Amino acid sequence: MMTRRRLARVKALFGANRLERELDDEVRAHLELAEHDARRRGLDPVEARREALRQFGGIDQMKEVHRDDRSARWLENLIKDARYGLASLRREPLFAIIAVAVLALGIGANTAIFSLVDAVLLKPLPFPNPERIVRMWEKPPTGTNSTTALNFTELRRRLRTFEAFSAEVDVNATAEIGGEPVRLQGRRVSANHFAVFGIAPMLGRTFREEEDRPGAENVLVISHAAWQQRFGGDPAILGREVRLDGVPFRVIGVMPPGALDRDRRRARMAFVSFWKPLALTAEQLEAGSHFLSPIGRLKPGVSIADAELDMLAARAAIQDLIPQWKQDWGVIVEPFDAALIDGTLRRSLYVALGAVVLVLLIACANLANLLLARGAARQKEIALRAALGATRGRLIAQLLTESVVLGLLGGIAGVGLAAVMIQAAIPLLPGTIPFTATVELNLRVLVFASAIALAVSAVVGLLPALRLSSASAADALNSSSRGSSGRHDGIRRLIVGAEVAVSLVLICGSVLLFKSLMRLQMVDTGVRAPNVVTASIDIARDKYPTASQVIGFYDRLVDEVQAIPGVESASIAGDVPLEGTGGENLRTPATGDERLLVRFKRADPGYFQTMGLEIVRGRGFSRADRIGSAYVTLINEALAKDLNVRFGMTDPVGQAVDLPAIGYGSSTSRTLMTIVGIVKNERVQSDLRADVLGIAYVPIAQAPILWNKLSVRTRAGSASLVPSIREALRRVDSRVALADVRTVEELRGLSLSGMKEPAWLIGIFAALSALLAALGLYGVVSHAVSQQRREIGIRMALGAESRDVVKQILQHVSATIVVGLGCGLIGAFLLTRTTRSLLFEVSALDPAAFAIAAISMAAIGLLAAAIPARRATRVDPTTALRSE
Amino acid sequence: MSNIDMSKSKTDLPYGTLDLLVLKTLDTMGAMHGYSIARRIEQMSGTLRLSQGSIYPALMRLEQQGWISTKWGVSETNRKVKVYSLTKAGAKQLHVEVTNWEQAAALVARILGAKA
Repeated sequence: MMTRRRLARVKALFGANRLERELDDEVRAHLELAEHDARRRGLDPVEARREALRQFGGIDQMKEVHRDDRSARWLENLIKDARYGLASLRREPLFAIIAVAVLALGIGANTAIFSLVDAVLLKPLPFPNPERIVRMWEKPPTGTNSTTALNFTELRRRLRTFEAFSAEVDVNATAEIGGEPVRLQGRRVSANHFAVFGIAPMLGRTFREEEDRPGAENVLVISHAAWQQRFGGDPAILGREVRLDGVPFRVIGVMPPGALDRDRRRARMAFVSFWKPLALTAEQLEAGSHFLSPIGRLKPGVSIADAELDMLAARAAIQDLIPQWKQDWGVIVEPFDAALIDGTLRRSLYVALGAVVLVLLIACANLANLLLARGAARQKEIALRAALGATRGRLIAQLLTESVVLGLLGGIAGVGLAAVMIQAAIPLLPGTIPFTATVELNLRVLVFASAIALAVSAVVGLLPALRLSSASAADALNSSSRGSSGRHDGIRRLIVGAEVAVSLVLICGSVLLFKSLMRLQMVDTGVRAPNVVTASIDIARDKYPTASQVIGFYDRLVDEVQAIPGVESASIAGDVPLEGTGGENLRTPATGDERLLVRFKRADPGYFQTMGLEIVRGRGFSRADRIGSAYVTLINEALAKDLNVRFGMTDPVGQAVDLPAIGYGSSTSRTLMTIVGIVKNERVQSDLRADVLGIAYVPIAQAPILWNKLSVRTRAGSASLVPSIREALRRVDSRVALADVRTVEELRGLSLSGMKEPAWLIGIFAALSALLAALGLYGVVSHAVSQQRREIGIRMALGAESRDVVKQILQHVSATIVVGLGCGLIGAFLLTRTTRSLLFEVSALDPAAFAIAAISMAAIGLLAAAIPARRATRVDPTTALRSE
Repeated sequence: MSNIDMSKSKTDLPYGTLDLLVLKTLDTMGAMHGYSIARRIEQMSGTLRLSQGSIYPALMRLEQQGWISTKWGVSETNRKVKVYSLTKAGAKQLHVEVTNWEQAAALVARILGAKA
C-alpha cells in the first residue's frame, strides 16, 4: 500500500493541473448541491449560498491539505525552485557564465583525472579473468631477469597450476609495403600465447602447436591496427603473403581491436603489428641467453603463492640443467597488472588526483564567494519572501536548489571539458600509461562527475543559504543601498585566505616537481655532441648471410653518410645512448668463475667521436678490429673502477677479460679479449635517476648483428640532413628502412617520460589554482572598494594622497594573504611528502622551493588586489558622495 | 504511510477516524458523490463538528490507496460530479480497521473502567 500511495503521489506531480481542475469542479458541485438543499429548506438565495460556504469550511485551506497530501510536495517545490534558479541565472548572465566556467574547470579537471585513475587503477584489465594472468621472472641475487629458452621449455613441461604458459620476445622486421621498406614491431610468442589473455582472433585463427617448431611453415597473426593502417583493411588479408626481412609469411589471423593495438614493451617503441611463432631452435635451447619473458594464465582457484611454489618445484626438478652459478637463483610470479603498473605511476596518479581535488576546493571557494557577494545584493529579495511567509527551511531549500542548478550546469560543461581534455591528452600519454588502460568517460566516471557536481553545489550553496536565510527581514529591508556588509566581508576574506593557502600547497608541489625535472635535465648523459641524429637500420639475413657481408654493409653506409656535406661523423652501433643495452657477465682469467654484471655495447670506430665520448686512456677502435683479428674491448671509467674494486685490477689497459663474443648467426661463446682503452662514461639506461653503469664496448665488426643503430653528427640542424641520410641508405641498400629517427635531445626528452607528465600536470593545476585565488582576491577587494567609495571619497576630499588610499587597502588585504600563506606553508609541509618518491635530488621540504612558491603566491595575490585598489583612487569625491 | 500520518484534516474528529467513517459510509450506502457522503457523516455524527470540505483530502487519500474508486456521474443539480464507491480492497481494509478500532476502544474502556 505504501508504495502504491507513493507512486500515486509522484504521478500526481505530472497531472497537477488536471487534478486541480477536478478538485475545483468537485468543490463547485458540492457548494451547488449544498445551496440547493438550503434553498429547499427555505433559505433565500443569498443566505443559502452563505450557509453552503459555512458548512464547507475553508476552501483554500482544504485545497492546500489536498495538494500536500496528494503529491510529493517537496518534488513540486524542487521543480519550481529549479525553474526559479534558472530564471534568476538568466537575469544575471555574467554571474552565471563565470560561475559555470569556474565549476566546469574544477569538475572537468577532476573528471579527466578520475577517468585516468579509473582506466589505470580501478578498471580490471580488459581480458577475461584478468586476475589469473601472471608474469614470471628469474630472480638472481639482485634485480630480476628474463629466462632462457631451455628453462622456459623445461619449466612449461612441468608446471601443474597453469592453464597456459607462453613466452614472448620483441622482434623487428622490415616489410615491403607499397614498394617502401617499412619497419614493423612484432613479437615472437608461444603457440598458446593468446590463450593466456583469453582473446580469440577476429578473423582467421591463431597458431597451432605444430607451427611453433623450427622448420614449420611461416605463419603470421597481425594486430587490428596493423591490418587497418598497414594493409588498408584488406578484406582478403587471410592467406595473404607478407615478406618480413625478405622471408615470405602467410597471414592466418587478425586479432580484435583494443588493448593489443596499444601494446608495446617500451614507451618509444612502435605498437605491436604482428606475432609469429617462437619456434625455439636447438641452438637457442643450448645457449644460456636470458631473452624470453614468460607470461601465463593460472588455472581457476590457484593463488599466486601456489603458482610460485609450483614454479619453484619445477625449477628444482631441472636443477641439473642449470649452470652451477645460476642454481641458487629464485623465481618470481607476479600478477600481470602489478607488472604493468609500477609504483611511480600509481603514486603520480594519486598525487594528481589529490592536486586536482585541491583545485576543485578552490573553485568551490571561489563560487561560494561569488554566491555570497551575489547574496548580499539579493538580501532584500530574500527578506521580502521571508516577510511574505516563506519558512527558513523553504528559503534554504530554494537557495540550495539554485546552487544545485549551477552545479549541474557546471557538471555538464565539466564533463564536456573533460572529454576534450582526454582527447587532447591521450596522444601524449601512451608512453606513460599501460596498454591495457582505455581512458574514457564511462558510467563510473559519469557517476563520479555527477557526485562531485552535487557535492560541490551542496558545499558551495549551504553557507550563503544559511547566511541569507538567517538575516533578519527587518534589517535587510531597512538597510539602505549603503549596505553594511561587514559580516559577509569577514567570511569572504576567510574564504579567500583559504584559497591562497591551498594554492600555495599546489605551487610548492609544482615547484618541487619542476626543480626535480630540472635536476634530471641537468644529469650528464656523457654525450657531448650537440647535433646528433640517430636511427634504426635493420637488415635482413637473406641478403647478408655472412658476417663479412654485414661488415661490408656497415663500412659502405658509414662512408656514404660521411660523404654528405654537413656531416661531421657517422657511426654504427648496437644501441644508442639512453635506450638500454644488453647485460653480460664479465670474468677475468685471474679470478676464475667470479662474475661482474656489465653493460655490453657494440660500437664502430666512429661511435665515440660521433657521441663526443673522449677516450681517456689507450686507444679507440679501428677498422682493423674486425672478425679474424684479435678480440679487443674498450671499457668506460665506471667499469674501470668496478674492475679495480671487484678484481683489484688497478691498470686495466692491456689486461684480458672474458666476455661473450656474440658471433654472427652462431651461439654465444665466451672469448678472451684485451682491454685496449678507457672511455668517458655515457648513460645507457633511460632512467636518469639510476647510477652510471660499467660498460664494455666491443667492435661491432667483431660481433656483427642485424639490428643496428646509425648515429650521425652534423655541423648544424641535424634534422635537415635526414633526407640526404635516407638517400645514402637507399644507395647502399634500397630495402632497408630508416626508422625511429631521433636526435639525442629527443632521446633525452623520452627518458623523462613518466617524470615530465606529473610535473606539468601539477604545474597546470597550480597555475589554475593561483589564477582562481587571484580572482577571489580581486573580487573581495573590488567589493570592499565599491562599499567604501564614500569613505574613500571623503578621505580624498580631505586631502589623502591616492598612494595612501592604495596602501591602506593593500595593508588590509595583505593580512588575508599572509594568513593564507602561513596556513599554506603548514599544509605544504604536511602534503609535499606525498611527492617524495617522484622527486630526484630535491627534498620534499626544499626551503628554496617553498620560498619561491610563497613569494610567487604573494606577488600574484598583491597584484590581483592592486588592480581594484588603484581604481579606488580614481574615485571622484563629489560623485562618490552624491551617489548616495 | 500510516493512517495517523495521513489525517492532517483539521476537524475535531480523532485522528484517522474520518477515513474510516468515509469507508463505512460507502459500505453502507453504496456509491455516492462527495456532498452526500459529507451530509451522511454529518447526520450520523450528530454532535461532532465537521467541515464538509475536509472529506475531499480524505477521499483523495483513499483513492490513492486503492480502497475506493471513482466514476463520473451527474448530480441532482445536473452537474458532472465524481461518484465514489468502495473497492474490494477497501472492503477488506474497512473490516481490518473496524476490528482494530473495536479492540482499541475495548482496551481503552477496560483501562478507564479499572481506574474507576
